[in-house]
Amino acid sequence: MSTIRASVRWIRADLRARRGQALLTVLAVAGIVAALVTAATLLEDGTNPWRGLFERTRGAHVWIHTGDAPDAAALRDLPGVAEVAGPYRTAPVTLTLDGRRSAVALREAGADPGPVAAPLVRTGRWLRTGDTAGVVVESSFAEALGLRVGDPFPVTSLSGVPHPLTVVGLAGTAEVGFYPEWTPGLAWTLPATLTGIEPAAGRSESVTGLRLADGEDTLPAVHGAVTLLDEQIRRMSTWREIRASMELDNRLLGLLLGLFGAVGLVAAALAVANAVGGRVLTQTRDIATLKSLGYTRRQIVALLVAEHGALGLAGVAAGLAGGLAAAALALDDLPFPPLSPLPLLAIAGGTAAVVLVAVALPAWRGGRTPPIPAAPAAPPGGRLSRLARLALLVRLPPALVLGTRDAFTRRTPAFLSIVGVAVPMMMITIGLGCWATLDDFLRHPERVGQAAALTVRPGRLTADAAARIARADPQVIAVHPGSEVSALEPEQTRSVLVRGLGTSAAPYPLTVVEGRMFAARGEAVAGQGLLDLLGAEIGDRVRMTVGGTPLIVRIVGRVVEPDQDGEVLSTGLDTLAAKDAVPPQFHRLVLAPGADPEAVRARLLIASGEAVEVRRTVNPAERLAVIRVVIAALTVVLALLALANLLTASALGLRDHAADLAVLKAMGLTPRQVAATLVTGTGLLVALGVAAGTAAGASVAGGLIDLQGHTSGVGAGIGRAPSASALAVTVLTAVGAGLLVALVPARRAARAQVPVTAR
Amino acid sequence: MSAPPVVCTVNLVKIYQDGGVPVPAVRGVDLRVEPGEFVAIMGPSGSGKSTLVHLLGGLDTRTSGEIWLDGKRADTLGESAWALLRRQKIGFVFQFFNLVANMTVADNVELPALLAGASSRQARERREYLLDALGLTDRAAAAPAQLAGGEQQRVALARALANRPRLLLADEPTGNLDSRNTRDVLRLLGEVHREGQTIVLVTHDARVASLADRVVTLLDGQIVDDGAVAAPRRRPRGGVGGVVELRG
Repeated sequence: MSTIRASVRWIRADLRARRGQALLTVLAVAGIVAALVTAATLLEDGTNPWRGLFERTRGAHVWIHTGDAPDAAALRDLPGVAEVAGPYRTAPVTLTLDGRRSAVALREAGADPGPVAAPLVRTGRWLRTGDTAGVVVESSFAEALGLRVGDPFPVTSLSGVPHPLTVVGLAGTAEVGFYPEWTPGLAWTLPATLTGIEPAAGRSESVTGLRLADGEDTLPAVHGAVTLLDEQIRRMSTWREIRASMELDNRLLGLLLGLFGAVGLVAAALAVANAVGGRVLTQTRDIATLKSLGYTRRQIVALLVAEHGALGLAGVAAGLAGGLAAAALALDDLPFPPLSPLPLLAIAGGTAAVVLVAVALPAWRGGRTPPIPAAPAAPPGGRLSRLARLALLVRLPPALVLGTRDAFTRRTPAFLSIVGVAVPMMMITIGLGCWATLDDFLRHPERVGQAAALTVRPGRLTADAAARIARADPQVIAVHPGSEVSALEPEQTRSVLVRGLGTSAAPYPLTVVEGRMFAARGEAVAGQGLLDLLGAEIGDRVRMTVGGTPLIVRIVGRVVEPDQDGEVLSTGLDTLAAKDAVPPQFHRLVLAPGADPEAVRARLLIASGEAVEVRRTVNPAERLAVIRVVIAALTVVLALLALANLLTASALGLRDHAADLAVLKAMGLTPRQVAATLVTGTGLLVALGVAAGTAAGASVAGGLIDLQGHTSGVGAGIGRAPSASALAVTVLTAVGAGLLVALVPARRAARAQVPVTAR
Repeated sequence: MSAPPVVCTVNLVKIYQDGGVPVPAVRGVDLRVEPGEFVAIMGPSGSGKSTLVHLLGGLDTRTSGEIWLDGKRADTLGESAWALLRRQKIGFVFQFFNLVANMTVADNVELPALLAGASSRQARERREYLLDALGLTDRAAAAPAQLAGGEQQRVALARALANRPRLLLADEPTGNLDSRNTRDVLRLLGEVHREGQTIVLVTHDARVASLADRVVTLLDGQIVDDGAVAAPRRRPRGGVGGVVELRG
């Protein structure tokens, strides 16, 4: 206990002498911990907005879309069903805002929205009796369109009659996923208003929600509903699909952050261990002096662990605070703290333990420093080797030879320094790979199954007329007819998307990565998500039900499928039943290279007199743009880690060779040559670390991204290694920055008077 | 019976292992230092002087033999027990000063007192007294690197005396100083000795040794000569440093 006051003095003095390095340690550890906390928050189920929405709206577990209104009482009697929401009549309408058309499902709702699955009003208010022109819009849809309370909401019914409505409120629901991943947009209006807009019952559908006693067990209710309603069912969704659709982006980001965070933690531990080890080596004499003053071995270890551990723990604390703040800022609607206590404690405890172990090992070595301060502290083999003498004789640049020799006088620290630079460099390279993959998505959408930049829906025209208008445009090089239907998968518990695109003879250019393209009737290709869902493999025959009609296809290939978590089956229009395929619901337009989709879209709208609906394909990379921010931020943290390692290596090299400087100067080396020697010593380690890290990163980046693609349902085959030029620039920047960092202390040392003491 | 000797060694041996070859540094030294004595240990390079002093302070472990400090056996102590003993009873002065470079002069001098459990106030008072006595009060806030060699050694001396040690061990304290600074440091050592401080000083400089009561000469790790200085040349007390009071 008595040593505490003395130790505090020593720690304070030491920290004051190396403020920059201490700050770097804190920042690097904080950055890594923040990344881990954010990753855990994103991965944790609680952050999925679905959960909060579902609980606050008392959501329904299963939603059934039927033609006519089903018998609610019969549905309530189904096994496992506790309550029923609806049935609600829903009519498809088109919202036209600033020339942009969006499909909207307009849903009837009473002034009292009922006890089950009542939308949660976020701004504005709910519908009131007498709100004949009022509409409440689902929040994500409103956000995507920039709609606010009080804005006009002009809709056109299928019969083409316009109806001016006004937004009175925005509300959230756990019934649908977020727009635009989940279409059409959803809006609620009073039943009377809906009847006024769409009087024809045949053009609308009925939506019924089932709230179950046990949400985990959806099968009995689903099977019961299928038996009861049979062919009436058009579509069905369970809470699992909605939850999955809402968490997609969070999950991808979370995995990316988690990967970077975990590897970053290793790099941080290495940097901390290197920093402490280097510090211990440079302070051998001070530590020996402390021992001669009466410090015991254990007290020295405690002193070092306290000093360096405190820095690490400060980093952990700052990282926790920063991570929680970042997560709370990035995700709306979350309670604070956004992460439940268990993973938070695990991250705090885990990182603290890693930091303390990283500190304890070199500190333990420091404790074994012999207490004789006069003991020689020179590195092993600290004199000029024969090779170096020879190199000087034959007039090779002496700095190069000497620096190379100096770099490895201490094998273990040299190796640790190389690894300490290589690990962050590897992660940066992987980050560049992610970046390149996103770029590739944007630059070559055809490689991710998005050959068509525009989709034309006939609107008021016939499908043929719309196709003719599209073909007439000079920049449209191909027009592929297509239809989408919702099919019940064999278990009949949930719907998947079946897409007819092109015909078996002239298929749409999907990106086939395994097997082959469909080439005959009854053949289909699937995304990874669908294969995983069905447990099917290429070559398997699958049976689905489309509106009561069985659809039996053989899966002949796997395509890159960025939509619907890859749970999409694509086939020729001729494979689908005629009632689903004729006329085609839309046409996908492949544009000439370099064509501006917006310009083509505008021309098509003019050519058709605004009768057709033309939509741009949403590139997944646009949704994932936030990943770039994450990559940039992580690159900064990783660069800090590498920098910390570099400073340690530089300080150690300087200390080890300070005694040699006298010899070198006596041999006739100019100050510049001395500086170059020291820079070479550090620079060589940097160059080796950067080279090793880049090589490792480049070789695993593609594979890792493909793995990520596989788990997210898009499927392997999207990963791209970073381009050679990007890699070259990164490598040169890293090595250049490393040399610059090494240059400052080296120049100072070269100009300084050669020390007389052995220090 | 008078007070026990401050230092007593019995057949003290230290053998280093250099690549498997035993290198004897100290070969059977019997040394007895009475309280208040000022002993100079002389000898050529490699005669084992420094090793002997390191053994006496517990910085190095003996191969065989006994070390008694203040009437208690010390050679059987473990590393930690030696550390505690150094804290309470031994002050060290080294050739290269060994001040902690990052700490100010004041912190360097207060460190041993704080280590021994003194309060901040006690440590500060002791430091102010010592620095004043050694004429360094105005350098208290300076970093060691800003000080001249002689000043650094005076700070090291103040640090060694901070805990009022029973034994002051000095390993070539003037080996790195010019003659003027040597004179200053020696004068201070003489003064603390007159106040009753027991000192064991290693030197190869006969003029430095002449200050001591007794000179022990080592050669190849063995005592070859041990005798009182014939006519100790005492300087008149100088007025600059003042008296360093050690007890009370």
